[in-house]
Amino acid sequence: MQNIESILFEPVGCLAEFPSGPFLEAASRLFDRKKQVSQSGSRAYWHLLNLVESGDRELDESERRILDESEIQAASEATVYEDVTPALGELKSMGVKLFIASSLSRAAVARFVERNSLSSFFAGVWSTDEGDGRKAAPLRAAISASAVAPGRILFMTDTLEGLKLAQSAGVQPILMMNDPDEARRLSMHGPSGGIVSLHELPDFVRLVAAQNAGKSGAHS
Amino acid sequence: MKNISIYRPTSIEEAIQILSKHGTEAGVYAGGTDLLIRLKNRLVQAPTYLVDIKRIDNLRYIREDAQGGVQIGAATKIAEVANSELLKKKYPMLVQAVNMISSPELRNASTIGGDLLQEVWCQYLRGGYSCWRNGGHICYGAIGDNSYYHSAMGGRLCYAVYPGDAATALIPFDARAKLATPVGMKELSIEQLVPGDMMVDGRIQSHVVRYNEILTEVVIPAPKPGTRASFEKLRPRGVWDFAMASLAMAMQVKGGTIEDARVVFGGISGKPLRETAVENALKGKTLGPGLADQALSVALANAAPLKYNATKIDMARGLLASGLVKLSTASAVA
Repeated sequence: MQNIESILFEPVGCLAEFPSGPFLEAASRLFDRKKQVSQSGSRAYWHLLNLVESGDRELDESERRILDESEIQAASEATVYEDVTPALGELKSMGVKLFIASSLSRAAVARFVERNSLSSFFAGVWSTDEGDGRKAAPLRAAISASAVAPGRILFMTDTLEGLKLAQSAGVQPILMMNDPDEARRLSMHGPSGGIVSLHELPDFVRLVAAQNAGKSGAHS
Repeated sequence: MKNISIYRPTSIEEAIQILSKHGTEAGVYAGGTDLLIRLKNRLVQAPTYLVDIKRIDNLRYIREDAQGGVQIGAATKIAEVANSELLKKKYPMLVQAVNMISSPELRNASTIGGDLLQEVWCQYLRGGYSCWRNGGHICYGAIGDNSYYHSAMGGRLCYAVYPGDAATALIPFDARAKLATPVGMKELSIEQLVPGDMMVDGRIQSHVVRYNEILTEVVIPAPKPGTRASFEKLRPRGVWDFAMASLAMAMQVKGGTIEDARVVFGGISGKPLRETAVENALKGKTLGPGLADQALSVALANAAPLKYNATKIDMARGLLASGLVKLSTASAVA
């Protein structure tokens, strides 16, 4: 792995535990999907994204409003993981450029970032609106804006969709191993790495740098 | 097994020169009971150049020093430690602990230095998985079967437990380690030697010994007056296995009152876990009924078990309770 210069975060499941309810509710109202998916906020979020992106039909204005409101509600109820703030602070002090690359709307991301006082950590925020699309679009926009070679960028994800997205964009997908059973399943799909807690991320960056420095790093 | 080259230096200085030349591609070879298995299992991290230190004079001894402590050469066999009359007399708890390391055959081959610095025995690492210690960037133990070889006290990228028994049993005696380095000798406490999951020379390892340093000696201070000590180890079988949980304790007792205490858990964390909260709770207390409850009320408060290993914490707490009962009735060894 090349030295890591930038890290992209999808807030859902990587920075915070988002409630699944608003996403499931929107899926039900917009697509009449009663199917019960996982109670995981991440999986509910990607389930909704897959429905929106399925290409069956365009959402009209009122439907888009339902979608936006569900995302804002989820962002308002999300619980930031306790290790996020110290880890982001340490990474920023190490000179790693941090970005949000999310398929949430601009309003939902802004609500999440402001409510949790996270704005100072990020060099840029790329939502569906800035990226002009969902899934790959904000990721590609953030990669372009970072001015960093994709191989030197990590994308944190806890879903198969996120993993595939990162692989298709040429960045290094890193599993957030929130649920061990799910993470074990996802580890079969070729992630570049995985961490149990965000507090490990600065060590991740340092270790890769030490390995690349001819294995001559000093004690830490 | 990959192709390897073996050097057989006859002095520490020569060995350090060879290690310095080859960097992390080289490794010290003494007993071989860890190193050769890593080679046999074709681990990416296994060294290509082995520096056999067995021809170096004066690394294999057990002797009393002028202060009444004991010095053990790093290449001394575990069996020699286990059978030493001097150690039986001065530190019976240490002898008890090393007698529970692995099997008689392996104790005859392995060295005290190798036991202290051995690689973790996580089944994913030893099975060749591309984990943090083997060229990869993920810990499979954190998401797989972590019932035996993994930490119940959190981790730092790697979640394997530190497997050695000798370090756990040496820490209560405030033992120290001497290292030969390219710029001379240095000395560390055993706690400093194996602090768990460190990034050293671009690698994750349990100890802080750099690629061109050699552990040469373990020094145990003279036992303090009124010392009582115990070692207990729970493992899946009565022999051979690593600890599911272990506990080494030493106390200085005067007139029934605990003046000082050392409490060190093994098999539950990435390092021999010195539990200072329990030590502080014990100081000034009187040995007797009720002591275990007080100790247990503060023990292992930072436990963070993985999915399958919460039982390690229960085992460790059980060892603490039974160890305190045992020490309450034990007699002093010094």
